[in-house]
Amino acid sequence: MTNISNLSLLTMILFVMIPVSLSYLFSLGIGKSAIWSSIRGVVQLFFIGYVLTFLFSIPDWQGVGLWVAVMLVIASLQASKRGKGIPYAFLLSFSSLILIEVFVLSLWIVFDIIPFRSEQVIPMSGMIIGNSMVATGLAFERMKNEFHDSKGEILAALSLGANASQASQMIIRKTIRAAMIPNVDGLKTIGLVQLPGMMTGLILGGASPIEAIRYQIVISISIFSSVSICAMIISLVTYRFFFNRKMQLLEEKGGKK
Amino acid sequence: MVLMKQFDFKKGSSMNKLIEVENVSNERVTGVQFSLMEGSLTTIIGPSGAGKSSLLLLLNRLEDPDEGKIHFKGKNISDFPISELRRNIGMVFQQAHLFDGTVEDNLKFGPSLQKKWEPNEGVKLLEKVQLPKEFLTKEVENLSGGEQQRVAFARTLANNPEVLLLDEVTSALDMRTVDLMEDLLHKLVNEEGKTILMITHDLKQAERLGSYTLFMNEGRVEEQGKTTELFYQPKSATLKHFLEG
Repeated sequence: MTNISNLSLLTMILFVMIPVSLSYLFSLGIGKSAIWSSIRGVVQLFFIGYVLTFLFSIPDWQGVGLWVAVMLVIASLQASKRGKGIPYAFLLSFSSLILIEVFVLSLWIVFDIIPFRSEQVIPMSGMIIGNSMVATGLAFERMKNEFHDSKGEILAALSLGANASQASQMIIRKTIRAAMIPNVDGLKTIGLVQLPGMMTGLILGGASPIEAIRYQIVISISIFSSVSICAMIISLVTYRFFFNRKMQLLEEKGGKK
Repeated sequence: MVLMKQFDFKKGSSMNKLIEVENVSNERVTGVQFSLMEGSLTTIIGPSGAGKSSLLLLLNRLEDPDEGKIHFKGKNISDFPISELRRNIGMVFQQAHLFDGTVEDNLKFGPSLQKKWEPNEGVKLLEKVQLPKEFLTKEVENLSGGEQQRVAFARTLANNPEVLLLDEVTSALDMRTVDLMEDLLHKLVNEEGKTILMITHDLKQAERLGSYTLFMNEGRVEEQGKTTELFYQPKSATLKHFLEG
């Protein structure tokens, strides 16, 4: 694999200047923000590079344990922001993400899909946690929006004798479906529209395309399964927060009467 | 010109108080007190924001009062299992709020919760609201507003409730459908002995249908009694003013 020299990397400034120039040309007002986010991105990536170098140098169980824990906390904090107003949003996000990570990692290790090595487990877990984080956040948001937009249908279902779970079925279905559809579509066109990131990375790193594809299959299917489970857990747990014990719909999203 | 019928409803013939509302208050209604006679049709009239819809939500226990009590068949409604109460005191909203799927999916929603749905039930329910049986398999999104409202009505009837709470169910319907719905209400009261509490903004409809009428204003029941008395001998200046329109 060819190393990118520092000088070559510096030429990337030219690429950054394109959106910055466009911003000034069209008065988009995002010039400063484009420069700042580019600098921040570079610093963050180098920082993570050094962190990963350190993690890969310590025993695997310590490296994996430490970094997965950090990823889980950050992802839970991020996902729970979308669940504002829903009680225990952070705890819920953290529990579902940890459950998914343990589930997926166990399958990978038990079926000898990947070895328990920091170099393999950390980046792959990052992809699982990252995608699950997005799915969790979207599930929170979807639940809140659906409960707001479908208030009439829920009241109608309750008035017909449905309990909270029965009245929420249509919303739970929509939430899980919404989480699954992008992955279903993504899997349909995988490799045809664009080469997936992991596969591209492995090929650039010198792996054979077939070896890269094997890894991509593992990660794509694992992500598909993880986001579905995430959406299911979030919707099946959170619908309760929209009702009180008397099966009445609460006015405030996720608040308590 | 469509000539509207003058219905001859039973005036709550058995004179049993099926529902008694005692001094009920919450954020939107204040000190509401009235009774519903078994087998009668009572209309609620009043300006927008008077608390009419909120009152119906309290009777179906979609909301609870902060103060006061509501009795159904002599028993506090909070003593009934909530699902059973809601099946017995059915509600039809101003908008149809149909669930995604076919007409049959909607009609069987309530009975299916108790595993009581029978396949031929759908056709009977559609007959009641004068829709052809072919509608059973239609997707609800393909129905007109009037058809959707009739399906919503049939969906509530599927639970065979003793009381029907109707929230301006005819407000968005054309004259012909209003006529059909009024015929249905007449049958439900006179032939099936249902008790109906109906909000309407159409004063002529209230006069035509209601044996009893409640006039609500600013969260309170300002006047109540026999419809003819309320319409022709209003006591309060507010009701007089309201009736004059």
